[in-house]
Amino acid sequence: MKGVLVKDLYIARSNILVTIVSLIVLGFGLSFLLETSALLVLAPVASTTAVFISITSDAASKWNKNVIIMPVSRNRIIGEKFVLYILLALLGMLTALIPCLLLALFGADITPGSLCLYGSVGMSATLLAGGISLPCAYLFDPEKSQIVFMMSFMASTGIIAGLVLLINLFFPVKGNILLSFNIVLAISVVWFFASYRIAARVYRKRDIT
Amino acid sequence: MANALRVSGLTKTYKDFVLDHVSFTVPSGSIVGLIGENGAGKSTTINAALGLIQKEDGTVTILEKEELDEDVKEQIGVVFDGSNYPEILSPRKLNRVMKHIYRTWDEQEWFRLLEQFSLPPDKQIKQFSKGMKMKLAISAAFSHHSRLLVLDEATSGLDPVVRDDILDMLLDFVQDEGHSILVSSHITSDLEKIADYIVFIHGGRVVFERPKDELAEKYGIVKCGAAQFDALDKSDIISYRRMDYEWQVLVSDRERIQERYPKAMVIPATIDEIMLLYVKGEGK
Repeated sequence: MKGVLVKDLYIARSNILVTIVSLIVLGFGLSFLLETSALLVLAPVASTTAVFISITSDAASKWNKNVIIMPVSRNRIIGEKFVLYILLALLGMLTALIPCLLLALFGADITPGSLCLYGSVGMSATLLAGGISLPCAYLFDPEKSQIVFMMSFMASTGIIAGLVLLINLFFPVKGNILLSFNIVLAISVVWFFASYRIAARVYRKRDIT
Repeated sequence: MANALRVSGLTKTYKDFVLDHVSFTVPSGSIVGLIGENGAGKSTTINAALGLIQKEDGTVTILEKEELDEDVKEQIGVVFDGSNYPEILSPRKLNRVMKHIYRTWDEQEWFRLLEQFSLPPDKQIKQFSKGMKMKLAISAAFSHHSRLLVLDEATSGLDPVVRDDILDMLLDFVQDEGHSILVSSHITSDLEKIADYIVFIHGGRVVFERPKDELAEKYGIVKCGAAQFDALDKSDIISYRRMDYEWQVLVSDRERIQERYPKAMVIPATIDEIMLLYVKGEGK
């Protein structure tokens, strides 16, 4: 899996650098308008777009055909994309923390609670979107994977809203907002890993030409 | 002699095409040419044999193993039409990728081959010509000490000089008797130069599997008029074509035919002509 991951990091490198710089600049810019920690919602989603660039690149260069006859199982080929997705989401999160922490040092109103809340929302949206779009990228046309990703991100915000409303039936979300979003995050994690199993199963039987 | 590859009864059905119980072997130490017109089923056969597409029926034994596991894949080098490597990478970066994929990746061999074929290690693959990309793909296949090399239309679209370089590489490769090659191509002149055996696929079926020398030495074309054609014993005819001014008749033993019909003009048949008469001829 390491070789395939190295290949994807080479492909995504320029995109990752642009994303990191953009997030830091955006973080400082955002501080004039709203709470900087809100950047944690956007950061992991923005940084994972590189995965879909690599899926599109694999299809365009026909690497996806070449790699099948290399000593890498189909499960590991799919698993690598999920690992890359998580790594990029975490990298985005860490990058977004840089302006947040720097601004906090200079007295901005950034609390650990707000960082956890926005971080939880951001990771939930990212995992839900990835859980939808990654299997779709292999089930349908990989060249349209970036569009699928954008649509799945919109869908994930709807799912989060739905989950919050559902949780609200059991206990009031307003009084337990961090707990509620941590439950949403836990569901998103489960969904993401279930999605890997689905994608691997789909890909195992798929004809690659 | 052991077989590097044995395909038996390989079947795959599409809406408009059926790969119908394809069987052939690639004996160790030999080069087998898979020929056929575009759409005959060459790539489908290779894709099914390599597990790229799911086969419906049949067995594929590669290097004496029926399961295409990672150990077997370590020993197979496959070259498709085009490089099929991310074009943003350079050969040096590709080396870093491949050494983490193949346990047997030989870095020194990789850079030796790059130098031998004058491939710049730090130039992006997208800046390579088609011939350079093909040499890069073959270098990659050689750099993990493959025992079986599979080339699917790898020489199509290349100029004769690059094709000749690649054919030389392939001939060098099979100097080791443990090495074998399956090469699919519709450029039959290339296969006439290097192949030991020819497998001809037409309409998803194997029409014949013969040693190339047998085709060259035994097959022939009878060029004759209508009266002479009528006089031919139809059991001697594999297929025939009526041209503007003559009949062309494909026969499998030209010396015997010459003896039986001394007045007939019987000439040796090239693989191209054999393929053409099978595909376009009648009476098969």
